[in-house]
Amino acid sequence: MVKIDPKTLNTYAENTWCPGCGNFGILTAAKNAIARLVEEGYPLNKFTLVSGIGCHAKIYDYLNINGFYSIHGRVLPTAIGIKLSNPDLIVIGFGGDGDTYAEGTAHFIHAARYNADITMVVHNNQVFALTTGQATPTSERGYRGKSTPDGKWDEPMNPILLALTAGATFVARAYAYDVKRLTDIIVEAVKHRGFSFVDVIQPCVTFHNVAPYVKERMYYLDEAGHDPSDFEAALRRAREWNYNLDPDAKIPMGIFYKVEKQTMEEGYDRKVPYYRVERNVDWRKVIAEKRVV
Amino acid sequence: MRRSVLIGGQAGQGVAKAAEVLGKILVRLGYYVFNYRDYPSLIRGGHNFNVVTFSRQRVFSHDERNYEVIVALDQRTVETHRDEASDKTAFIVPSSVKAPNTMSIDVASAFKQGIPPIAMNVILLGALARYLGVPKQVAKSVVKRELKGDFNLKAFEYGYENGENGKRKVGKVPKKGLYFLTGNEAIGLGAIASGIDMYIAYPMTPATPVLHFLAAHKDKYNYTVLQMENEIAVINAALGASYAGAMTMVGTSGGGFALMAEAMSLQGMSEVPLVVYLAQRTGPSTGVPTYTAQADLLFALHVGHGEFPRVVVAPGDPAEAFRYTIEAFYLAYRYRVLSIILGDKHLGESHFTMEEGEFTPTVKPERFLVFPEGDYKSYEITDDGVSPRSVPGAISSPVRATSYEHDEYGITTEEPEMITKMMEKRLRKADTLEEAVLELEPLTVYGDPAAERVIVSWGSTKGAILDALAKLPDWKFVKINYLKPFPRSLFLNEVEEAKRVVIVETSSTGQIGKVISMETGFITEDKVLRYDARPFTPEYILRRLRW
Repeated sequence: MVKIDPKTLNTYAENTWCPGCGNFGILTAAKNAIARLVEEGYPLNKFTLVSGIGCHAKIYDYLNINGFYSIHGRVLPTAIGIKLSNPDLIVIGFGGDGDTYAEGTAHFIHAARYNADITMVVHNNQVFALTTGQATPTSERGYRGKSTPDGKWDEPMNPILLALTAGATFVARAYAYDVKRLTDIIVEAVKHRGFSFVDVIQPCVTFHNVAPYVKERMYYLDEAGHDPSDFEAALRRAREWNYNLDPDAKIPMGIFYKVEKQTMEEGYDRKVPYYRVERNVDWRKVIAEKRVV
Repeated sequence: MRRSVLIGGQAGQGVAKAAEVLGKILVRLGYYVFNYRDYPSLIRGGHNFNVVTFSRQRVFSHDERNYEVIVALDQRTVETHRDEASDKTAFIVPSSVKAPNTMSIDVASAFKQGIPPIAMNVILLGALARYLGVPKQVAKSVVKRELKGDFNLKAFEYGYENGENGKRKVGKVPKKGLYFLTGNEAIGLGAIASGIDMYIAYPMTPATPVLHFLAAHKDKYNYTVLQMENEIAVINAALGASYAGAMTMVGTSGGGFALMAEAMSLQGMSEVPLVVYLAQRTGPSTGVPTYTAQADLLFALHVGHGEFPRVVVAPGDPAEAFRYTIEAFYLAYRYRVLSIILGDKHLGESHFTMEEGEFTPTVKPERFLVFPEGDYKSYEITDDGVSPRSVPGAISSPVRATSYEHDEYGITTEEPEMITKMMEKRLRKADTLEEAVLELEPLTVYGDPAAERVIVSWGSTKGAILDALAKLPDWKFVKINYLKPFPRSLFLNEVEEAKRVVIVETSSTGQIGKVISMETGFITEDKVLRYDARPFTPEYILRRLRW
């Protein structure tokens, strides 16, 4: 058994998140989860993260594992490409809410449908923080930012509901400041064979601090007797919170839904990492099929 | 002696297939054949036609008039092409179609004998084969191979028996080592020969045939073909796949290429190798989607924000398409750059006859990976600007790729010293790449090297220019194969003493002229352009040069 101290997953990069940022919780939970998985036999050098662009993406610099610091909105196609190229890799995507639910919405829906065996952790602070506080699709109605001085007029997107209806095989919500439960959920998500989606409610201390609101209203699904194999129940639970900041909302945390389906790698019959395939194709034989005389 | 046959009809009547089979029959008889395909963007109805041009000498282009035969599957073909016919043109038609100089085939009787109406193209192909004097056994063996179903053989037989002999029999000359293929097929085969692991695409004419071709061959060669939700997903997945070690290529046309633009810049920063096939069609925007153009040259050369090295290579025929695809893979993976193969509808969908020796590659693509035991720097600063590449999971150290400016380990930096070092590393890589391309054949001269009149062009105009050049003894043709890195001094050597330098391009502005002046300072305003969405023919070029 390999034991590692989560601290060995640190890099020399200077952490530039705001003091108290919810991202610290996600980073700690990610390190804990990786350390635990390594202890269980997952090889450390197979862990490969993909990030988008935004505050969340700095996690690429802070985790000493393989990483692809991708572009805004494109975490999922990048992660899928990596997984199909080398199915041995343990691919974890980290995206923001602007990243995943605005710029990359199409990829999110199709990734759920493809069911590649990857994990997607969304740092959902319900705001574009690194661009100084504009509304995202999950910002609550009435959110006032520099681009919505009169308050956001449109209803928020419910990514849990969207993921469920798009066919995701593992759908969960977690809270960034509950590092213990977040760690457990990330471990479960990585172990799940298929597309695992974790929407992490991540208070932004500077532009969108929902910590007091969430803390008062959240509860854990497993403690409430929720059966994660029950799709209809998952839909009902998903509708309990629509991401608006209504006073009487209840916010379920934990695993909404979990099911086994054929994965994308199985669909494409991908087993051996391509980098290990020795092809040595003879170009003469290849072109010969077009020879007429 | 160059001879041309036009076959026309509605979409769905099998015009293109009949022309392809005719082409293969003629190649079997030792002819050089060029098969041009013209079709609008629809699935049934409308008007499609092919022109099959053949000769005992090399031929790389088609004709636009004076066809020896017009095979008209419908009346519209007769009306559309009547003005392009000469008084000698013979029309081969089904009995329902009226035309001058007609050889009418009673297809109704054929249908009564159990030949299905879908095989009308093959009946008329049989009549055409008879008219041209094709030996029946040769034709039948090709038909049997190319067209599934016994009814096709019966249909061919019926047409042949009910047709008439023409005046000039084609005859047979024994030849060996002739290939008949399209540019798109050659690009697919080039990718296979390069050892492709993953082809990722979203359908878009005229790149789609590569998607189909590679999908049809994937089990034989054990690679993955992946169609994704849009071109943005396609190119980002391709970069992910390549980062993890797969030899990866994407293919698209102008609109899809535009969607991919942001990720091309990601290639520049991340230095994850990538091969992109850009099959140009007529723009702007949706433009004329099933027709040809060379108007994305400047776009390909400049796609992506920021400054980074790239390869833009433009094949002019399928043999070049095969070789340059292999070179594109080699350069992308050897130097961790973006390789753009710049083709178009005319190259991609026309059939050319190529000879054995023309396919021989000059380089052998590899993954070019290192597997260091200890410390590994994903962006090691080296003299030649090329950082040795490893892949995640293959070594104990982390392997990183990033869109952000970074240090040697791939960790983000915003420090001016490191930014400068990394910029200069990529600049040195551009120089290294340029030297490597000079070792290949970035420019080719055809005709008399000492000629003082020069045609300058690139890509799919090659065929029409070569065929025109046969009638231009005091001209030479300078074909630029690598648009980036541009062969500056090789080019200047060819034009500095020239009396006349004419640009030929399928565009309305002559973009290669701008590229040349930008790269070399040499300016010419002498241009032969075509922008009616149709490709050049030799006759068109000759007419315009003699203005």
